[in-house]
Amino acid sequence: MQFNYRPLACALAFAAVAAPAYAAKDVVFAVASTFTTTDPYDANDTLSQAMAKSFYEGMFGFDKDMKLIPVLADSYDVSKDGLVYTIKLKRGIKFHDGTDFKADAVKANLDRVTNPENKLKRYGLYNNNIAKTEAVDDYTARITLKTPFSPFIAQLAHPSTVMISPAALTKWGNKDIAFHPVGTGPFKFVEWKATDYLKVEKFDGYWRKGYPKVDTITWKPVVDNNTRAAMIQTGEAHFTFPVSYEVADVLKAKADLDVVAAPSIVLRYLSMNTQQKPFDNPKVRQAIAYAINKEALAKVAFNGYAAPAEGIAPQGVEYAVKMGPWPYDVAKAKQLLAEAGYPNGFETELWSAYNHTTAQKVTQFLQQQLQQVGIRTKITLLEAGQRVEKVESWQDPATAPVRLYYVGWSTSTGEADWALRPLLYGESWPPRLFNTAYYKNPKFDAGIKGAQLATSSAEKSKFYKEAQEAAWNDAPWAPLVVEKLLSANSKKLSGVYVIPDASFNFWEVDLK
Amino acid sequence: MLGYIAKRLLGLLPTLVIVGLLVFLFVHLLPGDPARLAAGPDATPETVDLVRRDLGLDRSLPEQFARFVAGVVRFDFGNSIRTKRPVATEIADRFMPTFWLTVWSMAWSVTFGMAIGIISAVYRNRAPDRIGMALAVSGISFPAFALGMVLMQLFSVQLGWLPTVGNDSWRHYILPSLTLGAAVAAIMARFTRSSFVDILGDDYIRTARAKGLDERHVVIKHGLRNALIPVVTMMGLQFGFLLGGSIVVEKVFNWPGLGRLLVDAVDMRDYPVIQALVLLFSLEFILINLVVDVLYGLINPAIRYK
Repeated sequence: MQFNYRPLACALAFAAVAAPAYAAKDVVFAVASTFTTTDPYDANDTLSQAMAKSFYEGMFGFDKDMKLIPVLADSYDVSKDGLVYTIKLKRGIKFHDGTDFKADAVKANLDRVTNPENKLKRYGLYNNNIAKTEAVDDYTARITLKTPFSPFIAQLAHPSTVMISPAALTKWGNKDIAFHPVGTGPFKFVEWKATDYLKVEKFDGYWRKGYPKVDTITWKPVVDNNTRAAMIQTGEAHFTFPVSYEVADVLKAKADLDVVAAPSIVLRYLSMNTQQKPFDNPKVRQAIAYAINKEALAKVAFNGYAAPAEGIAPQGVEYAVKMGPWPYDVAKAKQLLAEAGYPNGFETELWSAYNHTTAQKVTQFLQQQLQQVGIRTKITLLEAGQRVEKVESWQDPATAPVRLYYVGWSTSTGEADWALRPLLYGESWPPRLFNTAYYKNPKFDAGIKGAQLATSSAEKSKFYKEAQEAAWNDAPWAPLVVEKLLSANSKKLSGVYVIPDASFNFWEVDLK
Repeated sequence: MLGYIAKRLLGLLPTLVIVGLLVFLFVHLLPGDPARLAAGPDATPETVDLVRRDLGLDRSLPEQFARFVAGVVRFDFGNSIRTKRPVATEIADRFMPTFWLTVWSMAWSVTFGMAIGIISAVYRNRAPDRIGMALAVSGISFPAFALGMVLMQLFSVQLGWLPTVGNDSWRHYILPSLTLGAAVAAIMARFTRSSFVDILGDDYIRTARAKGLDERHVVIKHGLRNALIPVVTMMGLQFGFLLGGSIVVEKVFNWPGLGRLLVDAVDMRDYPVIQALVLLFSLEFILINLVVDVLYGLINPAIRYK
């Protein structure tokens, strides 16, 4: 194999006499959809934020196992009342435009996103809690919160919270910065052709010495699963995500490719509208949870690339409690239904938040399982617009048409608050957030509130445990499975990881 | 003739105004709130309101329509909700790749389709006809995405002759235009054949043969010209459809074309993009029809324009 490339390499070397002696390392990533923006504060999709890690970094971040690590920050301190966060910054870090990274950048970035005038899509993530940001000295930033919020550092590690060069922000303005990103990351922005690719090149002044190890990365959005698979086989791409279950086996058979199934915190569940009959009865909800064989579901719909859910928040999220899997027991389900007054089952709607093939298989499997305990369901796969109209922005909870709802969640802060509060907190009913079960339990809410105000890790974990146990027993959802994330890469490529929230870590990327 | 074309072009305007109004009403009837979709799944209501104001969707419908029309008159179609780039740029980026792909697909498929059609008609009910029509039927019934995948698997993955995605060189055009043109070639073949079969029985063909012309002359000179009228009509229609972009081919070959832009725009309820695209497609169809009408006159001088 090696020898075959020699003549080609020689020819290339001749063609580019002026080029440096080593061969340029150009890496191509094939990903599933076009980027919405390069500005993480204005992006709501994981992929755009993952790509933006090429040129942006935050004060905090996640390593490849989704453990929280300081990046541009050196250390931090929280005041006794949990309101004031003092963050010490690393020194000697430069932005791509040559300016120094200092505390004024922290202030400029957080002030930008908390100002409603700027109309950024991530406004809500910050404005709820940040009261003000100050630069105490060049390398100390102080953030004051409105109310104590213990997961705050996890929020700063969210891929949205990045440091954009204040000089560039002034130069390009709030909107145009998206076309001229300037950060501290390992790569500089080169070109974005929306239809075709986004290209970044090595930043020589990067603060992690010796990195990056490749010269350029070209991000290619390629929608079709099979086409991405073809590209990695022909060598036109070095890394691709996601890989569909169907082609995974084909790619596995190739000697020069690696197929990686990484653990995730993407939880799939079946939510039940607890405000409506018959789902207001916990016995009915528990019966449904008992009636579904999660092992079989993982095999049938996810080709084995998923595992039964073991709790309300998936393992890998900080403070997640392992309580399951919920057992599969048809007899018990029937008994519970009889106790609840539905010995012959009932009819209801089963909606899916997605209309792709996997969702189709999942809902058909669920329909068949529920049929066995007498629950007859009518399946509707919602298209994005319908989903927004009928579920996410439904104004009046009393008339919400949603009943059984198949959906999923990935916790991009890696911390229990964002895994639980948007989905089950009493104040998170649509249209505010995503409590599609319209679940409200004072015990659960007290746990979430308590954890937010808690100052020690032990205290926090106690509160989160109470909340999760309450929700598990009440079964506002039938927890189904936690997905695995399938990616494929050329054996020559190293240092690229799909992390559990389906984002990527790639500052160590190298090509042999 | 020039006067006729000028008149037809003037007649464009009222049609486009009506299309514009209909498409405006239509997109606003689509279920789903674009602000909610743009703000994303974990946005709070305050954020959604911010986004709504940012997009100008908090204004009343008549006000939005007035702004839309005022913009269109100045060739300003606004900014895409999804990418925030000007709609004109979004479309311009994709127009030429779609246009050239259409031209190449049409070029080979019309040549090939007509050739098969003529041969099939001349050798009606004999082996060449059977083979030609078998090809045509498979061309129509073989789904484009399957054909695209098979071609890519064979020529890119197995043989390594052609690239999979992109549109940078002529080599990138081969597989997509083959895939896109297959159905058109099949339709053209069937159309040409039936049109020819009708004509080959006509009196003037018998006369041509009777005066001793060789068969090739009869077919090409006397037959082809007269058979062309329905074939050209069909060609115009197919050209118009292809210019609208092909979702399937664009997806398989990751072609930066208009079809996927429209699908993405509908998914995200990207009103400005949907409106501009529908207007563009209508304009294309009207212009193609005009060209087809002019071609009629060139093919058959007996047709007069008033």
